[in-house]
Amino acid sequence: MRHRKGTIALLALTAVALAFPALAASDETYRTFLGYDSRISIWIIAELHLMFGAFVLGVPIFAVTIEIIGWKTKDPRYDKLAYEFTQLLSGAFGFTATLGGLLAFALFGLYPKFMDYLAGVFHDVMYIYALLFFVESTTLYLYYYFWHKMAKQKGLHILLGILLNVCGTVIMMVANSWASFMMSPTGIEAETGKFIGTAWQAMNNVLWHPLNLHRLLGNVAFGGFVCGAYAAIRYLGAKTQEERAHYDWMGYIGNFCAVCGLIPLPFAGYYLGREVYSNSAVMGNNMMGGAFSWTFIIQAILIGGLFIGSNYYLWIGMHRIPGSERYTKYIKFIDIIIILCFAVWLTPHNLPLSAEEQIAVGGQYHPTLKYLGLMSGKNAVVNFIILSTFLSFLLYRRANLGPGIPFSRQGGKSRWILLGVAGGLILIMGYYASYLLHLNPTELDLSADKEKYFKLPAILLLIQIAAVVVTVILTLKDRGKIGQMMYLGITIVNITFVLGVYGYIVMAVANPFLRNVAVTQWMTMMSALTLLTTLDVFLFKGAPQVGEMTWGKMPGRSQYTLIFLCVFIVMLIGLMGFIRSGLRENWHIYGVMQDGSAGSWTPDNALMAKVVSACGLIFLSAVSFLFWLTSASAKKDHKSEGEPSLPPKATHPTAGKAARSGG
Amino acid sequence: MQNSFFKAALFAVAVCAIYIYIGEVITDISGGAKTASTVAGISPEAGEAIFWGSGKCHTCHSVGDQGSAIRAPNLGVHGSDFPLPIALRAEERAKELSQKLGKPFTAADYLVTSHFDPGLYVVSGYKNEMPTVYKPPIALKVDQILAVDLYLQSLGGEPNAEALMKSPYFELLKKAAGSQSAATTVAFKPYLQGDPEKGKEIFFDPNSKTPCAKCHTVGDKGGKVGPELTNVAGTRDIPYIIQSILEPSAEIASGFEPFLIVTTDGEFITGVKKEEDDKSVTLADTDGQRQKISKDKIEKMVQQKKSIMPDNFRDLLTMDEFHNLLAFLETLQ
Repeated sequence: MRHRKGTIALLALTAVALAFPALAASDETYRTFLGYDSRISIWIIAELHLMFGAFVLGVPIFAVTIEIIGWKTKDPRYDKLAYEFTQLLSGAFGFTATLGGLLAFALFGLYPKFMDYLAGVFHDVMYIYALLFFVESTTLYLYYYFWHKMAKQKGLHILLGILLNVCGTVIMMVANSWASFMMSPTGIEAETGKFIGTAWQAMNNVLWHPLNLHRLLGNVAFGGFVCGAYAAIRYLGAKTQEERAHYDWMGYIGNFCAVCGLIPLPFAGYYLGREVYSNSAVMGNNMMGGAFSWTFIIQAILIGGLFIGSNYYLWIGMHRIPGSERYTKYIKFIDIIIILCFAVWLTPHNLPLSAEEQIAVGGQYHPTLKYLGLMSGKNAVVNFIILSTFLSFLLYRRANLGPGIPFSRQGGKSRWILLGVAGGLILIMGYYASYLLHLNPTELDLSADKEKYFKLPAILLLIQIAAVVVTVILTLKDRGKIGQMMYLGITIVNITFVLGVYGYIVMAVANPFLRNVAVTQWMTMMSALTLLTTLDVFLFKGAPQVGEMTWGKMPGRSQYTLIFLCVFIVMLIGLMGFIRSGLRENWHIYGVMQDGSAGSWTPDNALMAKVVSACGLIFLSAVSFLFWLTSASAKKDHKSEGEPSLPPKATHPTAGKAARSGG
Repeated sequence: MQNSFFKAALFAVAVCAIYIYIGEVITDISGGAKTASTVAGISPEAGEAIFWGSGKCHTCHSVGDQGSAIRAPNLGVHGSDFPLPIALRAEERAKELSQKLGKPFTAADYLVTSHFDPGLYVVSGYKNEMPTVYKPPIALKVDQILAVDLYLQSLGGEPNAEALMKSPYFELLKKAAGSQSAATTVAFKPYLQGDPEKGKEIFFDPNSKTPCAKCHTVGDKGGKVGPELTNVAGTRDIPYIIQSILEPSAEIASGFEPFLIVTTDGEFITGVKKEEDDKSVTLADTDGQRQKISKDKIEKMVQQKKSIMPDNFRDLLTMDEFHNLLAFLETLQ
């Protein structure tokens, strides 16, 4: 109870800080943080707030999803897992609020002029933000504390969970509007720099939704990996086989949720980057070809590490699945593909070489490797990495499943769903193919003779459409697996090899069209993920299990992989925050209000790595403390409710019902 | 449980340490911070610094094999598309524009309009997307644009400030750039008002934590290892000076690049090259000591990207001391 009171007091402080922008009124432009560099102080506080924020926004998304699965399958173990995830939230929420309050106070105190300007634009929205915060906190505590009391009103409880997610997402969107306004301000009078628009105009700036999407997916990945690490530590310290089985399962679910967020994340990042460039070519160029180009190499290392780590964890996990030996022989090929793609992704276009090195290489660029550093090569391999990861999941999913019920015997509902999915994909890809075929080159500032370069991506989309039709026909004729393989093969060839190589030609002769090539690759990739997942559900519907899953038999290295993934995602979120904020360079509000403080220079990557690591370690320490509190509380609960529950026998959260019904 | 937690914590710290190491390595190989440096003065050298720094020109343009940007035309000699450097190309394009516009148009006019009205001549295959460089966010001053033009003139031609300033378009540029509101920019203001006398003491005292005069000359006092600072505040603005103190490797002054020499005896010697002739090379180290190395004893000599100036002033000086030193440097007009 004391804990709750403390949290409410902190929330009140945050609300006061947000609701009284008059606090910012001052003649001073900048102050120091207790004599220390104000910019680094703000950096650390903001980063920690964002890390906790990402956690408390990401975890409820999959906690509610798991609760719904438990409700629908009537399996209490899912419900208990969802409750355990939610337990982690309650303490983290208090920390988020504390850091949010501290951040608001620090910003108003250290950057009074800037905050005066920002408050002048957003003061109406700040009241709404504070109100939403109260609604979210109330919803969270109702959701958490009434979990058991509302066991018989599960639908209502789930509704609370959904409301919690809606509030959290809206809060995130409001805060994102401030951050994105600083990058792409709107409603500004150019001559005076005065804001003459409305708060809504300021919120609805061009980078708002790209940032919303990127952060939403990022939060899911972040929450999943942090929960995975929690499960890993509990697994490593488990005393009984039951505990190990439970936390093994929890770690798997955490990793699964994280990868679900991670897979579409590069596309969301591409969308954000593209909008950054569209809004300001100067900012865009500085991002990819200027001060932050090498930071993106570090980003590539981190994202590559996350994909490799996630796959590695899955591959180790296959050893606990009887029947998986049928598929393990393919893993080495996936492994080679991912590592090769990762190497390409990491390759920079330009290396600062000494005269001697230039002579040895034969010029400023390596004759072959220079091509791998270009955007087209990177687009090709990132798609291949995602497809390979997806393939790992497919193999994992079907590892202990035998043949399912033939599609022709699955009834009309299955046919309608398959046709619906295929129809949707055909419509979307057909629309974009038509757009490309009718695209006027002048829209891209290209001469009329460049129109011929628009045809190939459109033709490839039409080939994909034909492949969808053939795959559906094969599935209807109970040859779905052949259809699956065919569609996956065509997708890989089209997006990696054909469009990957074609991208270089486009870059050389019609560079602005490259973004449309990237959209074609993304669309094709998403069609594969959607169609193949749908097919897989039907192909293994009612499939018997080859043997029982042996949860709790994972080697220690698998759990360290989960911890590694958690640390990497923490570092990644810190690095991305640095890039997003750093892109403004010496502007508080890009192009409108200049940063004249002593801290307006752009830190190098060495300093960035140190600050982000410090933030990461502080965050992980604080989270560990919260997890310790949670586990102490959980022990108390277990004493009254019994030992941890065993996980369900299914290999996959969404396959649980089907697998059991078939077995 | 405790044991597993500590193992996990140790593992997390190790991963962070690797991350920091990667950050250091990347910073090292990429040549340090690529910050928006501001260089005062109107010269090709200043223009070059702006081109590769605060002007952000390099994010779109390469110069020959220097840089990797391909969004905008290469300004040096590069492949069959760019057989001439920009100074010579400017003359050809000026002729084209003169015919098109039906009035005289010089190479200097072409360079000036490329900043004032870049859409006047768009190179085939490229978009008309060059930002207005005197407007935010780049917000270059007229003098800085002039310096960049001088640098471009130096790429295949002779820098000629007079020709640029006589261009009728230069007046238009000045007028347009001058109309940019100062309301949107904030003048630099340090956190604290430093004491220049105390700063002078820090600078010259050989026993201070940062005895700058060991390497830098002010007036007739000080060493010659680093650049002379007698008029530093007259030629460099304060953010640049701050950056030079805190991140000395970010931009190394021309002529003060450090070199590493590996001798045939396996000895490693680092320092700024002060003299070189057919027979020997003389390096100066951070203590101002000069060492002459015979060329037949040099196995390898490599230019370094990291300045020999210590990069730990942030740790050595307190906030007050730093501002005192800065206040002293500000007096060196």
